[in-house]
Amino acid sequence: MTDIPASNARHRESPIGGSRPPLLRDPVVLPGSSIGSMTDQICAITLRERAFLWWWIAMIPAMVLTGMLVAAILYLFYAGVGIWGIDWPVVWGFAIINYVWWIAIASGGTFISALFFLTKVEWRTSLNRIAETMTVFAAACAGIYPILHLGRPWLFYWLFPFPNTMTLWPQFRSPLLWDFFAIFTYVASSILFWYLGLIPDLATMRDRAEARRKQILYGVMALGFRGSDRQWRHYHVTYGVLAAIMAPLVISVHSIVGLDFAGAATVGWHSTEFPPFFVFGALLSGFAMVLLLVIPLRHLLSLEDFITGRHFDILCKMLLVSSLCLAYAYMMDAFTIFYGGDYADRTQFSGKISGSYAVVYWVTILLNVVLPQLMWFRRLRLNQTLIMLVCFGVIVGMWCERYTIVVMSLRRTHLASAWGDFHATFWDWATLFGTVGLFGLGILLCVRFLPVISMFEMRGLLQRRPREGENR
Amino acid sequence: MSSLSHQWRSLEQLAEDPDFVTRAVQEFPGLAEALASPHDRRRALKLMAAAITMAGLGGCDWAPEGTLISAVRAPSNIVPGLPNFYASANVLDGYATGVVVKHQMGRPIKVEGNPRHPASLGATDVFAQAQLLDFYDPDRAWAITVHGSPSDQSDLRTELAAQRAKIAESRGNGFRILTGAITSPTLTRQLDALLAIYPEARWIQWQAISRDNVAKGAVLAYGKPVELVLKLDAADVIFAIDSDLLSSAPGHLRFARDFASRRNPTRTQKMSRVYAVEPTPTLSGSVADHRFIAGPDELHMVVMALAAGILEGSALSGPPDWVGQVIADLTANHGRALVHVGPDQPPETHALVHAINEKLGARGNTLELIAPVAYPVEQAEELADLVKDMRTGKVSTLLIMDSNPAYAAPGGLSFAAALKRVDFSLTLTVLPNETSQATTWAVPMAHPWETWSDGRAFDGTATILQPQALPLYDPVSIHTMLALFTEPAPAAALDAVQATWKTRMGEDFEQGWRHALASGVVPGTANSKSDVTLRPDAGRQTPPEPANHPLTILFRPDPHLWDGRYANNAWLQELPRPLTKLTWDNPLLVAPERAEQLKLRNGDMICLSVGDASVTAPAWIMPGQAADCVVALLGFGEQHAGTVGSGAGFDFYPLAGRAGAPSLQKVSGHVVLACTDHHNLIFDETREYVRHATLAEYNKNPQALATGKPEPHLYRWKPKGPAAWAMSVDLNACIGCNACVVACQAENNIPVVGKEEVIREREMHWLRIDRYYEGSPIDPDSYFQPVLCMHCEEAPCETVCPVGATVHDSEGINVMVYNRCIGTRFCSNNCPYKVRRFNYFAFSHEEQRPPEARNPDVTVRGRGVMEKCSFCLQRIAEARIAADRENRPVGEVRTACQAACPTQAFTFGNMADPDSEVAKRKRSLLDYALLADQNTRPRVTYEARIRNPKPPNEGNGG
Amino acid sequence: MAAIFRPSANYWAALTLLGMAAICLSGIGWLWFWPRTDYARHVRWLVSQPVPFSHAHHVAGLGIDCRFCHSSVEVSSNAGLPPTYTCMTCHSQIWTNADLLAPVRQSLADDKPIVWNRINDLPDYVFFNHAIHITKGVGCSSCHGEVDAMPLSYKAKTLTMQFCLDCHRDPGPNLRPKDQIYNTEWRRTAETPSPEMLMTEYHIGGRNLTDCSICHR
Repeated sequence: MTDIPASNARHRESPIGGSRPPLLRDPVVLPGSSIGSMTDQICAITLRERAFLWWWIAMIPAMVLTGMLVAAILYLFYAGVGIWGIDWPVVWGFAIINYVWWIAIASGGTFISALFFLTKVEWRTSLNRIAETMTVFAAACAGIYPILHLGRPWLFYWLFPFPNTMTLWPQFRSPLLWDFFAIFTYVASSILFWYLGLIPDLATMRDRAEARRKQILYGVMALGFRGSDRQWRHYHVTYGVLAAIMAPLVISVHSIVGLDFAGAATVGWHSTEFPPFFVFGALLSGFAMVLLLVIPLRHLLSLEDFITGRHFDILCKMLLVSSLCLAYAYMMDAFTIFYGGDYADRTQFSGKISGSYAVVYWVTILLNVVLPQLMWFRRLRLNQTLIMLVCFGVIVGMWCERYTIVVMSLRRTHLASAWGDFHATFWDWATLFGTVGLFGLGILLCVRFLPVISMFEMRGLLQRRPREGENR
Repeated sequence: MSSLSHQWRSLEQLAEDPDFVTRAVQEFPGLAEALASPHDRRRALKLMAAAITMAGLGGCDWAPEGTLISAVRAPSNIVPGLPNFYASANVLDGYATGVVVKHQMGRPIKVEGNPRHPASLGATDVFAQAQLLDFYDPDRAWAITVHGSPSDQSDLRTELAAQRAKIAESRGNGFRILTGAITSPTLTRQLDALLAIYPEARWIQWQAISRDNVAKGAVLAYGKPVELVLKLDAADVIFAIDSDLLSSAPGHLRFARDFASRRNPTRTQKMSRVYAVEPTPTLSGSVADHRFIAGPDELHMVVMALAAGILEGSALSGPPDWVGQVIADLTANHGRALVHVGPDQPPETHALVHAINEKLGARGNTLELIAPVAYPVEQAEELADLVKDMRTGKVSTLLIMDSNPAYAAPGGLSFAAALKRVDFSLTLTVLPNETSQATTWAVPMAHPWETWSDGRAFDGTATILQPQALPLYDPVSIHTMLALFTEPAPAAALDAVQATWKTRMGEDFEQGWRHALASGVVPGTANSKSDVTLRPDAGRQTPPEPANHPLTILFRPDPHLWDGRYANNAWLQELPRPLTKLTWDNPLLVAPERAEQLKLRNGDMICLSVGDASVTAPAWIMPGQAADCVVALLGFGEQHAGTVGSGAGFDFYPLAGRAGAPSLQKVSGHVVLACTDHHNLIFDETREYVRHATLAEYNKNPQALATGKPEPHLYRWKPKGPAAWAMSVDLNACIGCNACVVACQAENNIPVVGKEEVIREREMHWLRIDRYYEGSPIDPDSYFQPVLCMHCEEAPCETVCPVGATVHDSEGINVMVYNRCIGTRFCSNNCPYKVRRFNYFAFSHEEQRPPEARNPDVTVRGRGVMEKCSFCLQRIAEARIAADRENRPVGEVRTACQAACPTQAFTFGNMADPDSEVAKRKRSLLDYALLADQNTRPRVTYEARIRNPKPPNEGNGG
Repeated sequence: MAAIFRPSANYWAALTLLGMAAICLSGIGWLWFWPRTDYARHVRWLVSQPVPFSHAHHVAGLGIDCRFCHSSVEVSSNAGLPPTYTCMTCHSQIWTNADLLAPVRQSLADDKPIVWNRINDLPDYVFFNHAIHITKGVGCSSCHGEVDAMPLSYKAKTLTMQFCLDCHRDPGPNLRPKDQIYNTEWRRTAETPSPEMLMTEYHIGGRNLTDCSICHR
């Protein structure tokens, strides 16, 4: 398959190619790392006695922010949603914005881990663990918001269709209800998928670990996976099936989030393009977040052998493609409004692009559409700092997009007398950055205690490679 | 209103019922000795009236912590769970407006208008509705104080004995009584008696919002005081000069009703035409067909030109040419025209207008002159004299009753300083205020709902005010207090009032008395027409040239706090002002041009100074105001109003009554004002919302404004119920007076949220009156539109609620089930009309309305729950149950807003019944649905506004 | 390398998993079952009262009509509690110095109302109207049970929303002839007119009784 470039001669002397810059035509795994060395390296990261210094440093903000989240939530339950900036015309605010934002980020991960698994894409192997982990925690962050959003959060379970003494059922026409089911299914199944993917590696860890408690810990988590033929057979079937379920889920969960808006009669939401529009957005932010995690980890854990220029190349191209799709969606959004020619729609849109909050809209366009265009250039696709910047921009841009959709639309609805405004409060921001902290915390813990790369899949990859190597 | 009639009869019986008597004695200690003295049986009766209501309070009522409290003895005529209605009146600046107070288990819970009262005709104004909150106000004065330290009744009586002696021997010299305007026959009688005993004593009537000009004008014109009774329903052409005839003139509710009866072309043969000229927008101006802006100078010219044109038939040069138009139209409609001028214009103008009206044949047709209802005096002068006497130490004893001069007297007088020279001063007041702080004695006054009194309406019709509840504290009635200055143990208020009416009602007093109490009016007490003749020189009066200052301050009462007496009423504070939509504040209103000049935005601080006095307050740009005027709204900025009103807004009284040219300059600073109009003014596309046309356009194509056929539907929801509740709102009638909004708030337990939350756009009013401007910001047309839940048949809110907390019932009401609501707020998103309100905090637990003041038939909403207009579901349910028990179709249901509306803009009823009023109105050619393109099929529809400007081509035919 | 777990670990693992599943299932089952129990609804709970008033004695024994004490039941939403005075109409003549009745006499003497402990309670957002139910042929015992058999009063029915709806969906079976409304041990017999007949007799059916707005405002 991959022909090894001449430069690899130089590479052979230094098995760990830290110094070596990534190239676009790199193989997905650099030669020089054998099954053994790979497994050693990955296990070493998790089994080492004390954590890296950078890990501790990174933990501090993560912990602080998470603490802030807890505080914000406690105060919210004590005082009520009035502590946020939401008001009479703008009844939805950060809670919904953040929810959509996180769930979008999450689905990007699933896309890589599930869809590309089905399509047997090779480069996925070194990324899927990171991607899935990201999915799990992003989805967790997203999952918090629908409940926080409620005026009476302690009654959220009324959304379940359960037989009660009021003989009442939820209202199945409401997009919010579908949304509730969608997010519920999605979070559950992505956790399942992620854990299932971990099992063989957990077994490896168990066998590698010296310390007794680690053996026990990993042993229990490995659920007695011994790598017997039979177990592998079952394992592959299950994993395949789950992947086959996850792939469409990505699409469905985000279409339904889109329907929350499209299903409403609100100006600026009432549009059939929302579901695909939201899926595009999801992919974009998903890939951006993956890159945002992969690049630093590659350095800090010196995974250069497994995460190569090829990965950057592909991911950046994906970023570019999804950004183009999104650009198309934005275009259609504007087009339909002026083609449709509803008075309220037009006033609202012109308010969006020229009103007091116009800057948010244009920032959205800049960060989600203009900036990613840099990815057309080959060498920029290898410039890691630049990629990081672009991805960060996209993440911010996606948040701005949701802000535009939620707040801008509600500010200017049909009846001019009901036009209002929205001013975020401290607690709005606290909850937003709180979940960022929670996300970071989760990622860091996983990086510390779980293999960052799916070793058993990597082995499969390596097994195929050396044969060609020997032929020379 | 049948329940009105029997209360007092049963009370008489009660007096015989020994058990009740003993109970009442226990409930009300004072009763014992009252019964002991046989001559005092009337007082006993009164006390028992109160005792009954007390029985309600202590009676069989659901109590918290899972217990039930049974009465010891059942109070007769109170059936647990059924309301009682007792007539009364709301007296403002002397003039009474009939009301009926609704009681639950003896507690007053709602005020309705009294259909039998000429000044009400069933309607109420915002003040009458807000009385409820005033009555339960926890800040009310509750103890007698001397120099701020608590005292008691006995001390007071000893002190008064000393005073009596002093006054008696000086024949009243140095004794002054200061009250507001008085129409109460009893009080007048008492005062006259007192003045007979103490000939040297003086009685000063004064109120901050003066109507002196009106009184003086009448005297100038007719030689003796007379009062006006307008008949707007007979007027084809009305010219309102800076007029308050729809907002605050005595009898304005009645005038508004008559006015509205001529404004809807589908219901009146000939639509009236209204011209208005005014320096700052008034309600009359906002609904006029032609509105002209005129500052003081221009207004003066206009009046002169009008007089010249109509009286001499000569045209003056100088005034704007529209005046000619108006003159032509007025003269062309002889006997059907009317000119009305507001109390802020000088007496000479009033005299001229009287002459003009005579010339136009208005008298006897569109207006009547009657003998004065209020005790006529020249208030401003009298107050000035009083203060002079006080300063020179001529005043030794000063009794101030239900008046707050320390706050509201013109700053020029510096009343408070003069008060220090008076050695005995006593304030009788319901709420503690600046004056009660300043006087030596402060005595809690019995709230009008706690005692007996009487009052007269704008046309003289008398009403007897009966106690609605047991006194909450230990107050003194105004009648008792006055009598205490002549005799040690005066008759109780009840006796005083009855004494007055015994003489007037003659032999069958008992019967007449009961009837008066039951119906809320004393029949045949309206003043007769006055036969005065116009003095020849009336038409030759010349109003004084306005001082030519570059800037004029117009002191106007705040439309909701009036002169400041309602400053502690949270409902009125938070009620958006009709035009500015401001709450909790009274910025200076400046004209757009001046704002332009000074680079002012709404909320920028400006300093207004006259002579050596100055006030710094925020500015608010008032479209349609004369450039050379700045409006200072009075009634705010009290320091001792109470927890709600103290420190809210700014006090402009200090600037009043000062000589010199006012000046206005911008100072640093900016404040955010609590306005419910959360976006900038809109001057476009109003037709989208308030459909309107001119009469000519309407006659050309009557159908033009009506909603076309609704879009076809795939699945159309058909109401199955026996009734189809619906409402029609006539935009031609709405004058934006806000009575409906407060009525709704009172009826539906709608909480007050406070200034900060209003600024955060979280006001809770279920019913709001949208005000749209159209045209140029300098001189826009304004349109009012009440917006409440439309109860759409295809309600967008219902489909999106995930738990089905808002659903339709079979009678077409969009029901909000509070306890099912989990607060996703999706329904509000999806409501095109944005009529839903959300409890962001536990507003109803934080507000100052006490639980016993709430309507027990309406759920009190907790935190995190959505709420909205329910078409007064509790009233529908009541009617529904009554009907079902008698197996008859549901009869008439009146919503709170409908009942309160002075112009009958609201019509509510069963749309399914083709003969119902609402069905008729919905067949009107003007009937249209708001945002019809949303195809929500609202059950609330509007009748488009038709204006009747004088067509340019049309000659003087009118 | 040495095995980390003993073979038995497999069983324990399996057991734990099954156990967890079992706990979840039973938990859900409990959540479903508990609110429906009479216990959770305080049905048949005896509540101590300041005066141990016996409906059994007054209704079954003396045959006093419900309306003698609950006088406003026919006209108002609120059935009304008897004021102390009503008790004393008889007890000023009989049992005039029974210790049991001391609190009643006390209440009258110093004009302190008797504070009873609640037995039937509906949430504040439910607006139940006695009058309409009485007029439409729903007997007292349909909701309050056979009070004539209660030496001490207790809650007889769950009074859950389901309880109300069961009847509002199909009132017929719970209706009874006018003269039987106050008969506490009334039972449907062969002679009683059919539900349909009663429905027509009481003009029930014109209105949709399951509208939220019937009970909630």
